[in-house]
Amino acid sequence: MTIVDLTSMGEPQTDLKKELNARLTKLQDEISDFCFQCGKCTSGCEAHKLLELEPHKIVALLKRGLLNELVNSDIIWTCMSCMKCRERCPQRVAPVDILFGLKNMAVASGKEIPGKYTGMLQSILSMGLIQDIQQATTRTNKTVKRDELGLPPLSKPVDVTKFHAGIMKIAMDKV
Amino acid sequence: MTMKKKYAIFPGCLMPTEQYAYELSIREIIPLLGIEIVDLEGFSCCGEPMKSVNQFLTLYLSARNLAIAEKDNLDVFVPCAMCHLALSECQHVFENNPEMKKRINGLLAAENLTYTNKRQIVHTVDLLHDHIGLETIQQHVKKPLKGLKITAHYGCHLIRPSEIGRPVDSENPQKIEAILTAIGAEPTTCPQKLDCCGAPLLTNLPESALTKTGQKLQAIQEQGIHGMVDVCPWCHKMFDNRQTKAGETVAAKLAVPVLYLPQLIGLAFGLSPDALGLDLNLSPVEKLQQKEEA
Ligand code: SF4
Ligand code: SF4
Repeated sequence: MTIVDLTSMGEPQTDLKKELNARLTKLQDEISDFCFQCGKCTSGCEAHKLLELEPHKIVALLKRGLLNELVNSDIIWTCMSCMKCRERCPQRVAPVDILFGLKNMAVASGKEIPGKYTGMLQSILSMGLIQDIQQATTRTNKTVKRDELGLPPLSKPVDVTKFHAGIMKIAMDKV
Repeated sequence: MTMKKKYAIFPGCLMPTEQYAYELSIREIIPLLGIEIVDLEGFSCCGEPMKSVNQFLTLYLSARNLAIAEKDNLDVFVPCAMCHLALSECQHVFENNPEMKKRINGLLAAENLTYTNKRQIVHTVDLLHDHIGLETIQQHVKKPLKGLKITAHYGCHLIRPSEIGRPVDSENPQKIEAILTAIGAEPTTCPQKLDCCGAPLLTNLPESALTKTGQKLQAIQEQGIHGMVDVCPWCHKMFDNRQTKAGETVAAKLAVPVLYLPQLIGLAFGLSPDALGLDLNLSPVEKLQQKEEA
């Protein structure tokens, strides 16, 4: 499997997209009943001051059916997933989960994924973890790795082919 | 003789591939406190770093890891706050969504795995505070950290969302403070206590991530707090490893000693700084040690 299968609009993604769409539609329906635009989510939002994310507006836009606009915007990628909005919303709307849904949708639609997500995903596919053993720098500018520190071997998937098969199914199946 | 309680350690990605100080200090102090740590083969990423890309993948990976621990009938000790959230959320989904549970288990069959949702999941903070207990911790203190004003950073993923059950309170967590008192330090709170470390943005907006880190550290520095403890490899990577860079984003020269909680506990236990991986902290931890000696 290549990264394309998991992240592009290729044939296997159709079902995943459908599922995501169902999820977002459900969120859309539910929030139109519950969110009363009090703005509490935005007042505590970690990404608000720094990056102008306004979770209550994300909810309002979704409520109005501007799904495509949201999926294609950069703002959905500024969320720090601090979950304060989910914790504090008096109506249990959870803007953070809407944002995750929107980002997933962007990926499933073949939009370019920002930053290092692709690299991390590739690493998970090839060895199970987001990165392999790194050299750490000490205060005296020496470099060390885990075995030199007497730490036990790294736990990672033993049979990578089998591990792959499982993940492959997520890309292919409806999950 | 009572049997030692055993936990499978779920290391995740970041701690075992670069945040060695956390792992070293955990492996020093936890067995001393009567808990046996068991290493298992075959774990993968918890899935949380992929949540923005594909939430099903996150869920699948979390369930896969829990299933591995289940094979050995062990409860799971998860030192990373992000991993802890992912695994807890998986457990929550499995409890409330039997259909999803069935589907994920169907996929896990490819690796001959299955998860029935029976594992207990603990993090460093509740393992120390609830399961080991303050009294036991206190009994091991050889060098109480008198006069050290320390502030606690819990990390967003550890405290929220309370709806799925988190090890500490979401708005006023106090367990680290209680542990700090037990080792003789002076827990010091600050208005920025619940502020995010910035790490989740490291992936796509590194500059903003560091600004977030810098802002919090600057506030702590200005309040004359002697140091900070954290309990998540992502938070620590920001506050300790990247402190100098974070300072540049807020035009401040930052010098806040940042330690993993188990490192500070280890110092109070009289363990050697080397064994606790203190050599790997890049923030000015020597400032704390000097204070301690003074
Ligand atoms: S806090 Fe909840 S109800 Fe209030 S605006 Fe935000 S999402 Fe809507
Ligand atoms: S989870 Fe995202 S949207 Fe919600 S408060 Fe935090 S940064 Fe803002």
